[in-house]
Amino acid sequence: MTGIAPRWIGQGIAQTDMRDKLTGAADYVGDLTVPRMLHAAIVRSEVAHGIIRSIDTSRAERVPGVRAVLTGADTPSIPFGPYVPDWRILAEDKVRYIGDEIAAIAATSPEAAREAAALIEVDIEPLPAVFDPFEALAPDTPPIWDERPDNVANAFAIDRGDLEAGWAAADLVVEGEFTTNRIYHGYLEPIGVLAEAHPNGRYTLTVPTHIPYKARITYASALGIPLDHIRMVVPPIGGSFGAKYEMLEPLIVACLSRAAGAPVRLVYDREEDAAIARPRPPFHFQHRIGVTAEGRFVARETEVTGIAGARVFWSPAILATAVHRVDSLYHFGSMQGSGRLAYTNEPPTTAMRGFGNAEALFGIEQLIDEIAERLDHDPIELRRRNAAKAGERTMHGWLISSSELPACLDRARELSGYPQRRALVEGTRGRTGIRRGMGMAIAHHVSGYKPILKDFDGSSAIVRLGGDGRVSLFVGEPDLGQGQVTILSQIVAEGLGCAPNDVQVQGVDSAMSPDAVGTLASRATTMAGMAAVEATRAARERLTAFIASGWQVDASELEWDGPKVTHAVSGRSSTLADAAHDYQVVHCGLPLLGEGVHRPDTEDLDAEKYGNPSVAYPFAAHVAEVEVDCDTGQARVIGYWAVHDSGTILNPSTARSQVLGAIAQGVGWSLMEDVDIVDGAVRNPSFLDYRIPGAGDMPARTVVEFVEGYEPNGPHGAKSLAEAAINPTIAAVANAIHDATGVRPRHVPIAPERLWEALQEDAS
Amino acid sequence: MAQDHREQRNGAERLPLRVNGDDVEVEAAPMSVLADVLRDELGLTGTKLGCRAGDCGSCTVLVDGVAITSCLMPVAQAAGRDVTTIEGLETDGELHPVQQAFSDHNASQCGYCIPGFIVAAAETVANGEVLDREQVVQSLSGNLCRCTGYESIVDAIVDACGHGTDREVAS
Repeated sequence: MTGIAPRWIGQGIAQTDMRDKLTGAADYVGDLTVPRMLHAAIVRSEVAHGIIRSIDTSRAERVPGVRAVLTGADTPSIPFGPYVPDWRILAEDKVRYIGDEIAAIAATSPEAAREAAALIEVDIEPLPAVFDPFEALAPDTPPIWDERPDNVANAFAIDRGDLEAGWAAADLVVEGEFTTNRIYHGYLEPIGVLAEAHPNGRYTLTVPTHIPYKARITYASALGIPLDHIRMVVPPIGGSFGAKYEMLEPLIVACLSRAAGAPVRLVYDREEDAAIARPRPPFHFQHRIGVTAEGRFVARETEVTGIAGARVFWSPAILATAVHRVDSLYHFGSMQGSGRLAYTNEPPTTAMRGFGNAEALFGIEQLIDEIAERLDHDPIELRRRNAAKAGERTMHGWLISSSELPACLDRARELSGYPQRRALVEGTRGRTGIRRGMGMAIAHHVSGYKPILKDFDGSSAIVRLGGDGRVSLFVGEPDLGQGQVTILSQIVAEGLGCAPNDVQVQGVDSAMSPDAVGTLASRATTMAGMAAVEATRAARERLTAFIASGWQVDASELEWDGPKVTHAVSGRSSTLADAAHDYQVVHCGLPLLGEGVHRPDTEDLDAEKYGNPSVAYPFAAHVAEVEVDCDTGQARVIGYWAVHDSGTILNPSTARSQVLGAIAQGVGWSLMEDVDIVDGAVRNPSFLDYRIPGAGDMPARTVVEFVEGYEPNGPHGAKSLAEAAINPTIAAVANAIHDATGVRPRHVPIAPERLWEALQEDAS
Repeated sequence: MAQDHREQRNGAERLPLRVNGDDVEVEAAPMSVLADVLRDELGLTGTKLGCRAGDCGSCTVLVDGVAITSCLMPVAQAAGRDVTTIEGLETDGELHPVQQAFSDHNASQCGYCIPGFIVAAAETVANGEVLDREQVVQSLSGNLCRCTGYESIVDAIVDACGHGTDREVAS
């Protein structure tokens, strides 16, 4: 297809599945009903840590409409979990956090299920609980899990280069403590699941998960059944941002369905969803960077302490990211990093967009501004000078196959007027009245990450060209709402010559879809996109060969123009739909299939964690402008400029929407949002008390621009975007607040009371 | 069946409703909220529940032309009044101007909050209000979206109100 201007790649078409969303026809899991369906409720611990003495379910069982009541004694007792086998379907001997699942009910109505849940009496002998990670990790603190007497849920350490020589070469060392907080994903669709236990021992689980293949492995191991006994069906997902990876709920509901002999649906209300929120893990960072007088980074040390909560979900991979991913954004010369995750008696933490990278950059990007200030260097040039460049292999072995970061920095400077505007306000920095400032931060991310799944990396896809002319694509990477379906439709349409709206990207169903790593680590466009390119090419080639054979001509003499194929010599022609019909007739009903396998040349990490785990790395340069009311400590983001390198932009409209959504989440994170946990209890489990940004909280001016390079390892030159877009946000806002006030924010959110206090301290 | 428990406790009544132009009678406890009745009794699941507390706006419907959060309104209060849900906005398969504008501006990602935004904006359009961006932003104070960052939604509503987008945007 090279040399021919693309028809659909690069077109800002609206989401191809949008009509159902605009008319209310899209059925999310909570909208699905099946005959005889029951409703579930879960009984949770109100004690942060304790021994279950007894559970009395007798009154609950007598509530009219109740069909099943389960406790830990009634569910398979097989330890399991994605990283650490510290999960149970329902608590057995102990509870370990407020919200821990103790019992579950299935009943004919949600009201009956909830009423029965309230009648279950649980007698718990309280144990001392721990809520602070440093206290949890201190010697002599009683363990939350006997298997881990030190309360270390996970540890990560890495070092590279000659650190001693690095520090010796440093003319300036900057260092600081920074903390990041728990963020609730705040998707509008609360967590839900529909489970059907079939009489033959099998299950159908309808779950809005973005990693159905991996979740199925976890679920099969928990139930002690073969993988093929579970069919995973992914309905439309009403937002996730990482929360809906591998959830516990499908297992509880599957067991209820088995016990009740009927399908069971669970849908949380907002309070339950937010109260057991498995938020972004909070981290404490101690960062240290050494730099020469000329502005060359030569050494970096970092120590990270985070919270896993009472069980380990995905926090270990997030910790590793927080410790060392930044070494592929900048060259630090040498580094040593270590991290620990503490078990605490709090809700488990898990993945959220940005995945530890945004958290690390919050401190690093502020320290880089501090270096620029102390060495009197231009902060943009300092970043440009030390950034990893296209074609380089970074210290941990990551291969930067493409980077337009330098051009992104230039455009961010031009668009925002950053130096001129900063010069204008030079000397106006202050701690009283209304102050304005601008801050910059850059970021990168991955496009997939090989260690996620030990079986395989990459992706596969099947194009199905039906005898009725309809085109379907099957992949194992679910759409999260970000526009996956649309991008893949454009890719298939480009290759087949049809229109994107003619392509039906099928929802993921393990009975039909290829197995896949899933939609995470910003990998789906790159990986599923490459597989779709291959599958489409295979379908086109098979169809061309079929036509050539039927017409008894050489396939190389056939020319496609859109959905029309012509034999130049004879003038004979046909269409995609007619040829597909003929193909099916000749093949006794078999539709034409094109299979695509994308096997990337990512590398396994060696014992020293060296190797290239991702096919491509996206980059971003963001500038935020803030206004601070020093009398109240209230900061507002009043302007924002985001310039991105995601290679070829397959769809400018959906790409822009990704960036704008990430900026909104960054505005919320930096200034507004915090899961408030006191003594293990979430105190703000509602959208009233946990405020996410509304339209009025967004800056009046947001500029999004893409610098389009070409990524050789991605579909049509594209690479990822979703997470690179949130990664610089909180650091950019923090740098802007420092620019305005001279206060260096050490903690997100930069809430009014905290900023006000800092303004008073610095004033004295 | 699904609602026997509710009836048993609260005493279901037969209530007349006019939904999307159709006169229907539902059997529901008077204090059931309108959102549950629309979804569970009438199968109109386009009205989404995001919080059940009036905080997110996903369940917005029109009652006598006024946008309300149906998760808070007792169904008895809607009896005999004209209820319009997201399903009632299309006419003869043609998208409502607000729906069309959302499509034109790609103003949705996961889509869960979108019916609420569209219904709320439909009230604005029906009232003939012509709003600028700032006024649209104010009019959306009751609706939350976690995906889009609102800009495309605001653009769509300004457009649907009959205004062109007056904001310079790079794309």
